[in-house]
Amino acid sequence: MDKISQVIQRKRKTAIFPIVCADHCARLLNMKLSEVAKDGDKLAFALEYGYRFYQYDMVLVFSDPYVEAQTSSSLDRTEEIIKAASILKQKLTVPVFVSIKGPFTLASFLIGIEQFLKDLLSNEKRIKNAIDTALKFQIKYLEKLLKLGVNIFIGDPMASISVISPNLFERFAYQPLQILIKKIKDRNLIAGIHICGKTKPILPMLDELGADILSIEDITPKTNTLKMGGVATDTIFSGNEEKLTEEIKKALNEPYLILATACDVPMTTDPQNIKLMIEIAQRYRMK
Amino acid sequence: MAFDKIKQAVVLMERERVKDLVKKSLEKGESPKAVLEQGLIAGMKEVSKLFSTQEYFVPEVLMASEAFYAGFDLVSPLIKKDEVKEKGKIVIGVVEGDIHDIGKNIVKVMLEASGYQVIDLGKDVPIEKFVETVREVKPAILALSALMTTTMVKMGEVIETLRQKQLRDRIKIIIGGAPVNKHFAQKIGADACGEDATAAIKLCEELIG
Repeated sequence: MDKISQVIQRKRKTAIFPIVCADHCARLLNMKLSEVAKDGDKLAFALEYGYRFYQYDMVLVFSDPYVEAQTSSSLDRTEEIIKAASILKQKLTVPVFVSIKGPFTLASFLIGIEQFLKDLLSNEKRIKNAIDTALKFQIKYLEKLLKLGVNIFIGDPMASISVISPNLFERFAYQPLQILIKKIKDRNLIAGIHICGKTKPILPMLDELGADILSIEDITPKTNTLKMGGVATDTIFSGNEEKLTEEIKKALNEPYLILATACDVPMTTDPQNIKLMIEIAQRYRMK
Repeated sequence: MAFDKIKQAVVLMERERVKDLVKKSLEKGESPKAVLEQGLIAGMKEVSKLFSTQEYFVPEVLMASEAFYAGFDLVSPLIKKDEVKEKGKIVIGVVEGDIHDIGKNIVKVMLEASGYQVIDLGKDVPIEKFVETVREVKPAILALSALMTTTMVKMGEVIETLRQKQLRDRIKIIIGGAPVNKHFAQKIGADACGEDATAAIKLCEELIG
């Protein structure tokens, strides 16, 4: 059984994944993100290269946040993402995850973020319609991905408490997430949720969603769901060994954890910093 | 009392009510400066407090900002320049490659409500544009914003370019946005990092008064 599944089942204490995405992998290869993001073969190649270079415990197919929002234009890249996921699933033994947007965040891209935020308080009908459209789209996209047997991370950054109130989260973001997670779990695949920024007031709700993994910035509050995180994004970027060690040691006090960065590793992060994070984690990793 | 009503209408995000109350106050002969300071700005200060205590979130601040500007647009043409003690010029913008400007817009409205003259360069601003504006406008503070880990690195490039052009030491530079913090600010040579809009205003006050 792979390490991520072992930690989810509490048969192992830790696994590791600095959230390395296509932008950083492309940079390792001197390729442009724009080139990688629209070509499934290149995307798979770059992500496989990153995985083999760093040897972490999972791979995340994520190029940029706009994949689903561009499907109605000539920039539709969902088929390329599916292609990349399929290639990686066949080639790698570690779990392959595909990142999709939460319907709440996708709806904000459809309306325009600022208008969406104002509509949350003044035009409920438009918000509900946009979320409904986004959910229907994501269900179709998700079905295609699940057929490949890949796992799913749902990123919903607009649902963060750094942006909206817990009340708005409950009214608009919760249920669409619940529907998607149920679909993933019905196929016995791994469901993760990633929300950056502040999440503490909504953690009880996130916990009830039934996901396998919660990727959040502050991992100190207790949850039933397995947490993923522990290293601040700027710590990995700066490569400060002392701070990195301090954060990793603290994170490893969690009984079970996927040690990860709080958000995706900045594209221009020195590869040595990522290697250092993995080295330190191995040094202090609980057996 | 009229000012209190304006303040409350801003806090309650009532755009049309703010407009009506400001018009009525001006018709009654209230000074535009007092309407601005004791009504509109007082309202935004309260909004800022509610934001920092997590009673208000971004949607509420955006709606309150709209209400603020509904009144501000009516009173600002009536205020003589010498009536207002100008606190200093601040150039603000979202760095190149990043189109997320809500945070920047919130900081802008809070800065204006606090009496600063804000020159807003918008979003996806090329490095040269920042440099050019700093040279021409000679602001006290340059405020850089970025939401993404892919674009936050541009902040360092702006600062480095200003250094090369011998413009860095003339100004204070603050940064803000979800992925950045004070350690990152130190690393790239910024003077400070504001965790949110309220903190950004506090920083400006500390840096230039």
